[in-house]
Amino acid sequence: MTNRKDYRSALSRPAESLAAGVALALLGTSGFAADEIPDLAGIWQFGSCGGGFNLSCMILEEDDELLTSRAKAYRDAIDEAAQPKYDCAPMSVPHMWTDPYAYSIEQHEDRVLIHYGKDDVVRTVWLEGHGHEEPAVNEFFYFGHSTGRYEDGALVVTTDRFTFDPQGLNADFRIPSSTQKQVVERFSRDGENLVLEVTTTDTFFLKEPWSFRVTSRPFQGEWEDSWQCDLEAARQSLKLLPPMYPDDPPIERIEY
Amino acid sequence: MRLFPKGYLLLAGVLVSAGLEAHHSTRGIYDEDREIELTGKVIEWRFINPHPYLIIEAPAEDGTVQQWDVSYGGAAVVHLRRQGYAADTFKPGETIVVRGKPALAEGVYGVLIEGGRHPTRPDGTQIVSGGSMF
Repeated sequence: MTNRKDYRSALSRPAESLAAGVALALLGTSGFAADEIPDLAGIWQFGSCGGGFNLSCMILEEDDELLTSRAKAYRDAIDEAAQPKYDCAPMSVPHMWTDPYAYSIEQHEDRVLIHYGKDDVVRTVWLEGHGHEEPAVNEFFYFGHSTGRYEDGALVVTTDRFTFDPQGLNADFRIPSSTQKQVVERFSRDGENLVLEVTTTDTFFLKEPWSFRVTSRPFQGEWEDSWQCDLEAARQSLKLLPPMYPDDPPIERIEY
Repeated sequence: MRLFPKGYLLLAGVLVSAGLEAHHSTRGIYDEDREIELTGKVIEWRFINPHPYLIIEAPAEDGTVQQWDVSYGGAAVVHLRRQGYAADTFKPGETIVVRGKPALAEGVYGVLIEGGRHPTRPDGTQIVSGGSMF
C-alpha cells in the first residue's frame, strides 16, 4: 500500500507553502492557507452512516418520498435488462458511494484524483484557480465534470454536466438522473477518519435535495486496483429475468 | 432438492450480507419466501467481477436434471475472497450442496446464496472459511 504522504499536496509543507502562496498571489489566482487544505490522501474504507456497517442513510428507496412523479414513471417504464450495468457500465455519483468498496484519494497541486474500488472508476476533480478549461456547451460526461476548491478545511467538489443516465440516482431500483443533476461532495477530516457529505439535486427527479453524511476509516485491507469487469458475468443474471416487454423483438447485445 | 420452511436463515450471515443484497437488486428475480437445497455437480466456477457465480447440474423439482445458476447477489471478487473463496475453490465435476432462494421465473434455474450460507460438501463439511465480506 502506497505511503499516504507521497500523495500530499506540496502546499501542505510550510516553506513551500509560503513560496507557493506568494506565487499564486502574483499570478492573481486565489491562494489557500496551508492549514485549510485537509489531508485526504490515502485509501479509505467505504463510508458508514454510523454504528459499524451501516449504509442506510445513503439509500434512495424505490418509492422514496423524494422522488417526483416523473421519476416514478421512468422507474416503472425502464426495462431492467436495459440498465447499463449489465454492459459493465459503472454506477455514477452519488450512487457509487452507496456500495461497500474502498476508494483512494490522490491530492495533486491542480487536481484531485478519486480511484474507486469498483468498476475501475477514476474521477478527476479539477481544482479552481489553475486555468483548467471548461467543457464546451455541448459536452456531457458519464461521471459529469467536477471542479473543486478547498474551503473551511474541506475539499468541496461540484459536479454537473452529467449525461442522462437511466441508473443515475439508483442502479438497483431503476431511478434515472437527468442532465440537470448536480452533486456537491464535501470531503473533510475528523481525526483519523474522513467525512463525506453529499448533496444531490435533480430538478426533474427529486422534489428537494437528497443529502447524506458518512464517515470512512482508513482502509486496512489489501487494495485491489483492478476490477476488470467480465461482460458475460455482468449479464449472467439476465438469464433469470423474465422479459418486461415479451412482445418486443429479442434483445441482441453487442459483444464489446 | 429439499425445501426449507420460510424464515430459516443464519442471522449473523444475514446481517453481514444485508448491505450487499440491498445494493444489488435481486428483487423480482428470486423468491424471497422460499429456500431450496441442491446437491449437484459443479460445471463451472467463475471467480470474476462484477459478480462471481457457479453453474451446477442438479435435479429440479420435477426430477429433471438442470443446469443451475448459483449467484452470490451483489458480492464481488474482493468480498468473496475475504470469505475464503478463490479461483480454484470449486472444481468441475465435484459434488457440492447449495442452499438459497430459487429463481421466480418459470423454466429458469437459479439460486441465490445469501446470509453466509456457503456451499458445503455432501458430508456437511465447509468448503470456505466464511466470515465477513468487509
